[in-house]
Amino acid sequence: MGERVAIVGFGQTNHDQCRSDVSIAGLVREAADRALQAAGLELADIDAFVLGKAPDMLEGIVMPELWLADALGASGKPVFRVHTAGSVGGSTAIVAASHIAAGIHETVLTIGFEKQSDGNAMWALSVPLPFGMPVHAGAGGYFSPHVRSYIEQSKAPAHIGAMVAVKDRTNALKNPYAHLQQRGLTLEVALESPMLWDPIRFVETCPSSDGAAAMVLTSERMADRLKRPTAWVQSTAMRSEPTLFAGRDQVNPQAGIDCAKAVFAGAGVTSPIDEIDVAEIYVPFSWFEPMWLENLGFSAPGDGWKLVEDGETNIGGRLPVNPSGGVLSSNPIGASGMLRFGEAALQVMGLAGEHQVDGARTALGHAYGGGAQFFAMWVVGSKKP
Amino acid sequence: MSATEHQATIAADGSFTAPFELAYPYDRTIGPVLSRFFRGLAERRIEGTIGSDGKVYVPPAEFDPVTGSACTEWVSVADEGVVKTWTWHGHSGWALVLLDGADIPMLHRLLAHSSDELSTGMRVVAQWADDPTASINAIDGFVAAP
Repeated sequence: MGERVAIVGFGQTNHDQCRSDVSIAGLVREAADRALQAAGLELADIDAFVLGKAPDMLEGIVMPELWLADALGASGKPVFRVHTAGSVGGSTAIVAASHIAAGIHETVLTIGFEKQSDGNAMWALSVPLPFGMPVHAGAGGYFSPHVRSYIEQSKAPAHIGAMVAVKDRTNALKNPYAHLQQRGLTLEVALESPMLWDPIRFVETCPSSDGAAAMVLTSERMADRLKRPTAWVQSTAMRSEPTLFAGRDQVNPQAGIDCAKAVFAGAGVTSPIDEIDVAEIYVPFSWFEPMWLENLGFSAPGDGWKLVEDGETNIGGRLPVNPSGGVLSSNPIGASGMLRFGEAALQVMGLAGEHQVDGARTALGHAYGGGAQFFAMWVVGSKKP
Repeated sequence: MSATEHQATIAADGSFTAPFELAYPYDRTIGPVLSRFFRGLAERRIEGTIGSDGKVYVPPAEFDPVTGSACTEWVSVADEGVVKTWTWHGHSGWALVLLDGADIPMLHRLLAHSSDELSTGMRVVAQWADDPTASINAIDGFVAAP
């Protein structure tokens, strides 16, 4: 994959339902400044900027990169914008890493953000295009039939989705940046949560959040000089497929299978469940945890829910999943993938604080987007690849 | 949004076209810097921020456009200044007005009967609205200084 790529700083905003105290520029800078501070660098040290957010229509801002350039001190430097729907935070980080791997730029600041309170993501995702398939109910309406299909195929017990929700919301209590801080959530309470998009309950659904995430990526030469806690990119992969075509498996998409195989092969991982210490997986609806565990090859198809039921995805389990609280606890869409990538890096840096997984040396960051059609993943490690 | 049936028109070659209108309500949070600027306008006060090189930006910059550093120093500027450049459009002019005390000109309307009254370098003064609100329209426009 070319030159080695180091993550020397990760920063995120305090995610919340409405950050009315900041403009979009201010929100972006909150994350960027924290990432720079972690890296011990300043904006002037950055050679290029790679920005991502969900589709512009979600906030009604066309091309925010045009006016974010000065808010980022990017005058006179390259600015790139990445578009891959919900997976954008992951693919944006990968584009940033590619600049360094290719030896084009030395130090790159990459940022993902969303100010959902300014927009209307659910309905902006449900455009009634003439002659097109109507969605009309946002992401939950789109994904709920896939979840039902998973439950029927795998014979998973009905409480698995609620178990994931309890785990992620409990993990979020250990993450001061997480949007939802839901104390006292038990399985009993979760199971009484109303159905939003049957079989997806309210508690099994991600919130709408304002937030941003940023990372400073740099070359081996610079990382060796900075001597900061560092996560090393072991491997990256992206795969895509169309939203709709006859015969597509929407429960276990081929693009996700292929992407996982590529990212693990690139990192020299032959048995993911044994060799990955912690995974930050994009789970906007709780049932996607077992679905993606299977898609990623952490279990055989149909068995992902067993890892959940046995508590193996809890902190302290065989494969802790989303110790940060995940997308289920904070969902600033354009940042959500980068939060997964950054939280994976934090784990191998040993900087995850209360939600640190003991001894984490190899971690997976995962994002998906669109109609489960864009996949972006990276494996990061505490050692140089 | 309603699940309306789209009325297709069919061209001679058999291809379909349908009209498609899209509208969503959005909000815009502008943050502390522009909020203060607009609050000032409601009180007939024009304020700018000072960049890291000492330049005064009106309307205020939240972040220095050159260095990216946060602009935290404020200064009040005059409600009159000089037209740096202008255009005539329909029944009014539009100009970049460099207010006295500012280093960066601000876009606003020029109120005049015809373009014959306008010139680059002319001095203009703000004509405040009778009941200014927290909006750029707290100023109706700029008129030739007496």
